[in-house]
Amino acid sequence: MSGWTHKQRALAVVLCLSLSFTALAGRLVDLQVFRRTELAGVAESNREQVVRRQGRRGEIRDCNNNLLANSQSVRIVAADPSITASNAPAIAQKLAPFLKLDLAVLQAKLTGSGKYVRLKTKVDEDTIAQIKALNIRGLVFEDQLLRTYPNGPLASHVLGFVDNEHRGVQGIESVLEQYLQGLAGYEVIERDRKGREIRALRAEGIGPRDGFHVVLTIDQVIQHIAETELDKAMAEFHPSAGVIIVTRPKTGEILAMSSRPTFDPNQPGNAPADSRRNRCVSDVAEPGSTFKIVVASGALNEGTIRLDDRFDCENGAWLYGGRILHDAHPYSVLSVSEILYKSSNIGAAKIAIQRLGAAKLYQYIRNFGFGRKTGIALPGEVSGIAHPLTRWTPLSISRIPMGHEIAATPLQMIMAVNAMANGGRLFKPQIIKSIVDENNVPLLTYPPQQIAQPITPRASILMAAALRKVPAADGTAPKAAVKGYDAAGKTGTAQKIENGQYVRKYYSSFIGYLPAADPEISILVSLDNPTSGSYYGGTVAGPVFRGVAEKVTQYLAIPPQFAEPEEKKVAQL
Amino acid sequence: MRSNRKREPLRFGTVARSLLTCMSIGAIGVGYVWQKNQIYRLGDEIKKREATLLASEKRNTMLAAQLAQLKSPAWLEARCQHYGLGLVAPREAQTIRLLEPGPEWDTRFLPAVRPAPSTKPRQVVSR
Repeated sequence: MSGWTHKQRALAVVLCLSLSFTALAGRLVDLQVFRRTELAGVAESNREQVVRRQGRRGEIRDCNNNLLANSQSVRIVAADPSITASNAPAIAQKLAPFLKLDLAVLQAKLTGSGKYVRLKTKVDEDTIAQIKALNIRGLVFEDQLLRTYPNGPLASHVLGFVDNEHRGVQGIESVLEQYLQGLAGYEVIERDRKGREIRALRAEGIGPRDGFHVVLTIDQVIQHIAETELDKAMAEFHPSAGVIIVTRPKTGEILAMSSRPTFDPNQPGNAPADSRRNRCVSDVAEPGSTFKIVVASGALNEGTIRLDDRFDCENGAWLYGGRILHDAHPYSVLSVSEILYKSSNIGAAKIAIQRLGAAKLYQYIRNFGFGRKTGIALPGEVSGIAHPLTRWTPLSISRIPMGHEIAATPLQMIMAVNAMANGGRLFKPQIIKSIVDENNVPLLTYPPQQIAQPITPRASILMAAALRKVPAADGTAPKAAVKGYDAAGKTGTAQKIENGQYVRKYYSSFIGYLPAADPEISILVSLDNPTSGSYYGGTVAGPVFRGVAEKVTQYLAIPPQFAEPEEKKVAQL
Repeated sequence: MRSNRKREPLRFGTVARSLLTCMSIGAIGVGYVWQKNQIYRLGDEIKKREATLLASEKRNTMLAAQLAQLKSPAWLEARCQHYGLGLVAPREAQTIRLLEPGPEWDTRFLPAVRPAPSTKPRQVVSR
């Protein structure tokens, strides 16, 4: 090189530089032109991110807008043991009081293998803020949605619950999934080197829409009354299951629907599947004597009987179709009214056979809504059993009037009684009042829906006149009488069938309404196989009816029909 | 032949124009950077407020659930029992019902309030 001239050396430098720059230019062309699409994609994916945002699930409220279910954002606290292991005892000491975990368990988790260990789920935001203030390295906080039912097991069969994906599984949660579930939104965001969003560069986004809120016809106070009384009855009579339904006969609105055994929707997995079944709509049973009202009202409606018509009740045993039909107590001649309030099986059978006929009886059974679903907005409803006429045996017409050979859900029974109480108008049972948006503006409202008129208002008044004697001293349910109120109702004590045979197990029920002349509420109480003491509907379910009715009338401020003397009032004060 | 420009004295106008142009360009540049900075700062502020709003909403739902639990009949009943307050719903005997003016009110109270109708025949005046 020493022999090179100045010009040659300069040329060599220029050549080297030119080659270098040519190589660089080539590389640039390769990156910018030939691999442009691929690299732009990589760069974009490093920088941009599509974030999905889920709308909050709607609330479920009672008819007074009290919260029955809502969704909360909570956190999962996790740790990276590769970071926390070195200082596990000190971290465990700090965290244990906040996470309410055993110190040894927590320490074991913090020293475990791997890079991720879940310490606790469902931790609220306040606790998270306190943990963050401790400034512990190696902790991870993840978002989690939690469906909360503040009243615990109250109305659990109506509300249902959600699964891990926050989708409704049962009850209203399941039926109204499309309204409760919000719509997800998304945002295209850009992140800086540390992974933080650069808000100014947010490209596009559609915000999530929260789910709509559902307002039920259930009143949480009445529901609480029903559940408390049902719990008392379960403790006293030890039945295998129990049901109480409270409705408003004039509209078909359900004010309370309780079923036992029950479960806590906050922890649905802790209860057996059997406890999660809503027996009000999914269980059928032979209704027993409560079904006599269908026969009597049908015959009254047809004008083939009057309340004072008399039937020979054969002193408690009547041979019909080769089989003997029995009464619980022997009666000689009873009027229609007495047949109802003394609950004579023979009398009811004679009304059906002699005054109504099989075809008409079947017609009234169908008109009152038996043998088909009521159409309530709850999952798992069954139709019950009402065999068509072609499948009736010669004995059927003597057995169906006393509530055998037919099966109905508790809901079907109370809706039929509601029709009787309400001038013969059969309403569709209503459990959803409205669906509202986040500003409480109703999007959908559900007005009362009359679906049939099985009997005339006249027949309805006549039935009320007969049924108001049931909770009286000489009726079958004197213990169902509500002080100060003119109540009407009917008892039912149906023998249960197991393996095709009637066994010594009973289904005790009472369905009543009050005030009898202008009903404000109707209540169904049914206990499946009470094992302590009596099993008659009047003595088992009757007092439960009274307990619920007294409290509900007080709560709804339904004025009594029979005023107490002033001096007695003053004495009580 | 033109004289050498290097020898010519600087003209104030030319210098002023040049300075003004440079300052304008500089100001536009600084303004652009300032504006960008403001946009980023505003973005950060929006983000902080969004985070606060979200946290408030989360807290709101949590408090709503807590409030609902505290207002639930079962909870209230348990608290009443716990503190032995003896609070129960009023009995019918302890209830005084006030009638709203209406048909029932009219039939029960109106005859006593309204003055007795005059027996004197009313005079009809035609105009």
